[in-house]
Amino acid sequence: MPFREVSAKMVEAQVAPGQRLFSQRGAMIAYKGEVSFTPNMQSGQGGVMSMIGRRVAGEAAPLMTVEVPLGPGGPGDTPPGQVWFGHGGHHIQVIELSGDTLYVEADRLLAFDGTLEQGTMFMGSQGGVMGMVRGQVTGQGLFTTTLKGTGGVAVMAHGGVIQLPVTGGRPVHVDPQAYVAHHGDVRNKLSTALGWRDMVGRGSGEAFQLELSGEGTVYVQASEEKL
Amino acid sequence: MFTLVAQFLLQGSKVLAVTLAGDAVKAKNGSMVAYDGQMAFKKMSGGGEGLRGMVTRRLTGEQMTVMEVKGQGTCYFADRASDISLVRLNGETLHVESSNLLCAEGTLRTGTAFTGLRGASQGNGLFTTTVEGSGQAALMSDGPAVILRVTPGTPLQVDPGAYVAHTGSLRQDFQSGVSFRTMFGEGSGESFQIRFEGDGLVYVQPSERNTLGGEI
Repeated sequence: MPFREVSAKMVEAQVAPGQRLFSQRGAMIAYKGEVSFTPNMQSGQGGVMSMIGRRVAGEAAPLMTVEVPLGPGGPGDTPPGQVWFGHGGHHIQVIELSGDTLYVEADRLLAFDGTLEQGTMFMGSQGGVMGMVRGQVTGQGLFTTTLKGTGGVAVMAHGGVIQLPVTGGRPVHVDPQAYVAHHGDVRNKLSTALGWRDMVGRGSGEAFQLELSGEGTVYVQASEEKL
Repeated sequence: MFTLVAQFLLQGSKVLAVTLAGDAVKAKNGSMVAYDGQMAFKKMSGGGEGLRGMVTRRLTGEQMTVMEVKGQGTCYFADRASDISLVRLNGETLHVESSNLLCAEGTLRTGTAFTGLRGASQGNGLFTTTVEGSGQAALMSDGPAVILRVTPGTPLQVDPGAYVAHTGSLRQDFQSGVSFRTMFGEGSGESFQIRFEGDGLVYVQPSERNTLGGEI
């Protein structure tokens, strides 16, 4: 699914007949062609377990299916549709997946290729107790959405997004509030820079960080504000 | 002096600098952020000039408060960090939501046009502002506006909340995609659209105003 960044805050998707993509509800700005928008009851595939996961986690951003129905004469019968997406004036980053898994909070998903496999991931299982705390600290819950496969994902952020490579020897530390998404073979854990001094109120204001290590990419927004 | 018309220049994407040499521009009331030189500000009201303009203002709720800025020097305009786009008109008409019009050259005529149901769904009244003539106008948008071209045979559907303005010979009608299912609370969030047909340009912003339609 080709997503093209039209501006820092808007993307264009080409939808071929028979293809589909998912987007956050209400994020369509404009469209051309025979495009249909239908609400997506259970936020896509992923089976019962991930449904339960989503319910528990509050990880259920309402989605809709965006598709161009296949004409009776086959793929050549209907021209492709064009859809423009944007939401709330947030910045948009297009991430291309090639067989790997993207970890992202559901409410940051603007639109993604319908062929990607959706699921939820229990973040508490990574990094032990501190991993459990991570969700509470970031205010983002203990679950995160996963997208796996090959295709494009448009992710929203407050302010612009930078991509930081994560490589074997050098873990990357990210402010939990500025964390947007990551992909690749990356482990994350919450680290504290809390010392005795911070406990009595002389903290630097950067008490918690997410530590990402392994091989992959982490996306960080230029703001500490939630969407 | 070769220039006797107002010079519109963007300073970054969110501040408009207008250089005046004794001529005037119309701008959104309260949008001046700075000026140098000699400027005089006079409050006007939207809906067009004359009696007809007054009547339409009453009827339409298209209450745009406009000021006339006249002087020698440079006046800077900005409004709530909105992004600004410049539009040059060569005799055609620009249709714009009154809340999205920042500034227009004094020689341009402003008025109102009936939009039908669409306006009501946007909570903006049944009318929209028109700007016609030759000269420059500045539009505001929440996020940078994108210009989409409509050609005969390829109509464009736009979220009413993301619509900013349009030019050209376009027919617009209001489309409802509300089905039985939508009425029961499982809406896609895309229940209403404005459909544009013909030949022209549509300005859309990457953000949605709150609209009545958006709730359905």
